[in-house]
Amino acid sequence: MKPKKPDLHAPNLNSSSAPMGSGFEANILRLVKGARECRAIESGQVDAIMDPASGRAVLLPDAQAALLERKARFRSLVELSTDGYWEQDEHYRFVLHTGAPIGSDWTGDGGILGKTLWELSFDNGSEIDWQTHRTQLEWRAIFRDLEFRCVDRADGLRIISISGEPMFDAQARFKGYRGITRDITERKQAQAAAPESDRFARTTLDALATPVCVLDTDGTIITANTAWRVLAAADRGIAAGVAEGGNYLAACDQIVGDERVDAIAMVAGIRQVIAGERELFRYEYFCNAPSEQCWFMATVTRLHADAAARAIVSYEDITEIKRAEQLLRLEFTVARCLAGADDTSAALQAVIRAVCETQSWDCGRYFRLDLASGVLLLDESWGVPVAGVEQFMEKSRGVVFRPGAGLAGRVCQSGEPLWILNGSKDGRASRTALAHETGMDGAFVFPITSKGKTLGVLAFASGTVREPDDRLLQAVRSIGDQVGQFLRRRQAEDALRQSEARFRSLTELSSDWTWEKDCDFRFTKVTGSGMPGAGHVLGQTLREVPAVILSDADWATHQSELAAHWSFCDFEYAVALPDGQLGYYSISGEPIYDEAGACTGYRGTGTDITKRKRAEIALREREARLRDLVEPSSD
Amino acid sequence: MRRKQTKRSASGRPAIPPVTTTVVMRLYIANNAPNSVRAVANLAAICKEHLQDKFKLEVIDVLENPLRALAEGILVTPSLAKLSPSPAAKIIGNLSDKSSVLHALGIT
Repeated sequence: MKPKKPDLHAPNLNSSSAPMGSGFEANILRLVKGARECRAIESGQVDAIMDPASGRAVLLPDAQAALLERKARFRSLVELSTDGYWEQDEHYRFVLHTGAPIGSDWTGDGGILGKTLWELSFDNGSEIDWQTHRTQLEWRAIFRDLEFRCVDRADGLRIISISGEPMFDAQARFKGYRGITRDITERKQAQAAAPESDRFARTTLDALATPVCVLDTDGTIITANTAWRVLAAADRGIAAGVAEGGNYLAACDQIVGDERVDAIAMVAGIRQVIAGERELFRYEYFCNAPSEQCWFMATVTRLHADAAARAIVSYEDITEIKRAEQLLRLEFTVARCLAGADDTSAALQAVIRAVCETQSWDCGRYFRLDLASGVLLLDESWGVPVAGVEQFMEKSRGVVFRPGAGLAGRVCQSGEPLWILNGSKDGRASRTALAHETGMDGAFVFPITSKGKTLGVLAFASGTVREPDDRLLQAVRSIGDQVGQFLRRRQAEDALRQSEARFRSLTELSSDWTWEKDCDFRFTKVTGSGMPGAGHVLGQTLREVPAVILSDADWATHQSELAAHWSFCDFEYAVALPDGQLGYYSISGEPIYDEAGACTGYRGTGTDITKRKRAEIALREREARLRDLVEPSSD
Repeated sequence: MRRKQTKRSASGRPAIPPVTTTVVMRLYIANNAPNSVRAVANLAAICKEHLQDKFKLEVIDVLENPLRALAEGILVTPSLAKLSPSPAAKIIGNLSDKSSVLHALGIT
């Protein structure tokens, strides 16, 4: 608590403002004429009365006594907690000093009054130190625990600690400084006299990068290292604000909100360790601080130093490891999405969603580089189901970027990722007004590449875009390559599918059906129309198909060709049709080999040649008849 | 004949309608004098219970700013001046009479 000096104006019965001999009550009545005010005074609810003549407040006796008592109590407490109290004027000259002496110039209060701190004789005050201190004062900064060495009147070394704060009047004008002094000679000497092992242990503890503290049975922090003090001051995590002397368990009990569950778990674990129910307690927790997200691994171990039960609590910041794990998982997720995808659109959406969810970004869009027009066109997008985000994506549907224009265009041209942090005024790309309206003024854009060529860009927008670290940049490059390879593969597959469709179409145009046989030359697949007895063909050799008329010699010849794995062309055979006539068919085929080079069957095409064969037969019959007619006449 | 029923709070007392406009007040005190300290505590409790965040309060220490108190027509402290919404009102004393404070603030 800071010392306060209320401007007490006790009613002066001898002053000219009070009627002589009329008493304090008469003076009050002169000042207060309103009935309400009088009633309030009579009921003891008033502390002071305004005197328009003097322009001052007149304290009533009870209030004055209470304030004087409070002031005396405060002074007593200050004297108990410190060794001295001082005040300086606006020129930093001491105007008041009580308690322990300051500096070797001290010869009673008169010794330092009127002097500045740097005019006193100290052993350790260099010109640079004083310059720094004067700058502090000029900035009206609070200073704490400045340590000065001086020799007292008995030639003994004294070490004084001085702290101070600026004073301002009601108009906020600087009035000077006030503060306290503490004689820390004994503490310093005790520290200096401590065993070397203690100092070594303390130095080692402070050198640890991991925040560490030691709790007593009640959960009070007995000691903590420098890293712990930094963490406690950083206002993040369960350790926030709990410094040495504070009760860690009580602080955890008071935590509300998202960290409540973690705090309960920590308290339970610490109590178990203190009670000896377990030697080690480890707990991993996530801290969603406003500035950044981080993860900690808390470890509580039992201290066996003496009879009193104690626990050592340490916090390891595992944010970097967790982020790396997250990104690795993201890379696997992306690989899985792409590997199992039949649909390019669904795969791209799944990838965008995975990236958004991992990085807590609001939405992502894939712009495809259209080779024909040379511009980037929106292909796919995904966003969190929030009105603002949906509006943002809807508005960006017709957006077209030329290479070099906008953030997406620049990424497409350079092939390098770019980002804009939230709230920054980055001139590299103009953000739309809508982006600012929706709070998604941060962006992260990276290219989708394959074999060194940019196929498109993935652009993410969000209100939570942070400066990317090396691991994130590595991850987006990997994701860009994966998606690029996927898109290239899909393009190749599409081209192959189109080629196959074209080939099938041509095959269908040039033949009536296609067929496949296994290694025993039995039909396994027949497509198209025109093959007689097609319903009974599967599982049969050509010879076994009902109604097929094939001489033994022809079949033997054909079989020998098949056995030799020769290709054959236009092998003709006849079929007895239901109308009693013969149908004629021609098949061509080639052997199929597996990767090991073994023949696995045949495939080929078939054509209905009945019309041609019948025409040939009819022609031959007409020739024969003609020949019969000619030959008798010639006889 | 049906009677209009007064809405009551859980405590059985008539429920006070929620305040929708911001109440602007000025409290004049004499440093840490007993009635002033009590007035601050009483007003803080009333604000928390009835006004939540719908109030603006300026606390003026007449020992530090006597002229301001005089200029604003304050004769004794503690005094609470309600500036808006209209009508303006002034309450004298340590604000221990809660009902009169609520009445003056226009909450009842």
